[in-house]
Amino acid sequence: MREWLRSYALMLKWQALSNKPMIPLYVAVEIMIAVGFVIGIGFFYPQINPTIAKFLTTGAPTLILLMVGLVIAPQMVVMARVEGTFDYIWSLPIPRMVYLAADATIWLLITLPGVLLALIIGALYHNFTLEVSPLVVPALLLIAMTGIFVGYAFAHGAPKPQMAHVATQIIVFAIMIFSPVMYPVEQLPNWLVALHKVLPIQYMAELSRGTLTDLDVNLGLAFSITSAWCIAGLVVSYFVIRRRH
Amino acid sequence: MTDELKKQTEMLLEINQLCKVYRGGVRANDNVSLTVREGEVFGLLGPNGAGKTTVVNQIIGLAVPTSGSISIAGIDVVAKPGYARQACSLQAQTQVPIAGLTAIQAIELVGRIRGGSPTQVRQQASELIDHLEIGEWKNKMGVTLSGGVRRLVAFCMAVVMPGSIVILDEPTNDIDPLRRRLLWQEVQNLAERGFAVLLVTHNVLEAERVVNRLAIIDQGRVIGQGTPATLKESEGESLRLELILEPGTEPPKPPDFLIQSLASNRRVIAKVGKDSVTPAIEWARNLKEEGIVEEFSLGPTTLEDAYVRMVGRLDALELTEGGT
Repeated sequence: MREWLRSYALMLKWQALSNKPMIPLYVAVEIMIAVGFVIGIGFFYPQINPTIAKFLTTGAPTLILLMVGLVIAPQMVVMARVEGTFDYIWSLPIPRMVYLAADATIWLLITLPGVLLALIIGALYHNFTLEVSPLVVPALLLIAMTGIFVGYAFAHGAPKPQMAHVATQIIVFAIMIFSPVMYPVEQLPNWLVALHKVLPIQYMAELSRGTLTDLDVNLGLAFSITSAWCIAGLVVSYFVIRRRH
Repeated sequence: MTDELKKQTEMLLEINQLCKVYRGGVRANDNVSLTVREGEVFGLLGPNGAGKTTVVNQIIGLAVPTSGSISIAGIDVVAKPGYARQACSLQAQTQVPIAGLTAIQAIELVGRIRGGSPTQVRQQASELIDHLEIGEWKNKMGVTLSGGVRRLVAFCMAVVMPGSIVILDEPTNDIDPLRRRLLWQEVQNLAERGFAVLLVTHNVLEAERVVNRLAIIDQGRVIGQGTPATLKESEGESLRLELILEPGTEPPKPPDFLIQSLASNRRVIAKVGKDSVTPAIEWARNLKEEGIVEEFSLGPTTLEDAYVRMVGRLDALELTEGGT
């Protein structure tokens, strides 16, 4: 365990230093997107009532965590696969999951300011008070980890990196338009409602909403299903990055 | 200890009948067997696409053999790839991903990842940077470094805290002649300190000066193995005649006294029996006077001759890098 932590700290340093020139830019973009979601999507509504305001404000963290986990991080993996980066990284004497953990940590830290600012600005802009539960920390962490692990699973697992790149384009579209994050699931057609009963996106949004507002949410179910997806993403990631040609 | 047992313990890396067939039936390695001892520089030579890097990828566990075995210090590393990554430090053929790191950060971080203490790694990195004369770039970011300097940094990353086996895959590509010599000195230092060095290259002239033993690989198969001296002996007592043709001229038809004449681009290499030296010089001189040949030379056979004869084609050599 000590060796694992030592390797993790060193890989974290490697990743942080490697991305140092770009980190401020990534953070700024994440903040812009998060705040943009909170305010911009409000323009779709002629009038914003307190429930809509709570959906918009607590949905933004879920959306940007999913964008990072399922779109941006996988796109970086795709680029690294194309450039042959992993042929070098995987030759180093570190467990491959350590690399994944360090990479996930960097993305989490990049996204965190956007998440916090979206919540604060959303509550102020839409004029309501957040009901913050202590469970918000594990809830947001779980959303982030689930997105990242599922993202790694398909980005590393796709037979050709370009296939994963195309998948990210489809995913971003599906999450933004056809997922009940910023609006209630009841507004979707029945077949999409059924689909979202097994996908984790709706439950991720509920985790955020249930731990930050007084809206009624089945948190137990949301934690269970999101955790199941998180573990599945982790297990698949573990196997695909251990694969040898 | 019996001689056989002693021989076995000295062999650090043992590859036996290694075959690698990719999906689609491409046979990248075909029955490759070789051994590398402690304190030895072993060359794996062959033209581009011969299957050299595939061997390396299987040693360090990036690829899994279709059949055959690989062991390091008696441990089966096909079953335990984690052990291979502890035991081997690699300078890969592809450039290292250090775009956002400075040269010194990259070298020291890999040293730390390979288990070195901060003080030890700092000292080793500093010595390497001095020996290879790359101090002026040590605080520059990878993205700003030239290909040659970046490869020197990659070399430092591989040897700052070396594994018991150091694998160098085309280490001198893009590097200037002066620093190539410095790099080869470092390689020899490593061997003298007891590390086994597996040198993968297509640069025969450079390899000849540094390797203790070598294997020549082509189309996935080992086609010759031994010391440079034993491989050269197979050429007999003949001499080598080399012609550099004038640009745009066709290679001349070789006379009967030339043995195994091979031509590629502007270069023609042939073996000359001891008895045919005079007519060979006469023939070459005439070609020069006729404006077909720009220059010629006659000398003892080299490892390159053995290599060219085994591979059977001159274009397996990279002439632009051979002369340093």
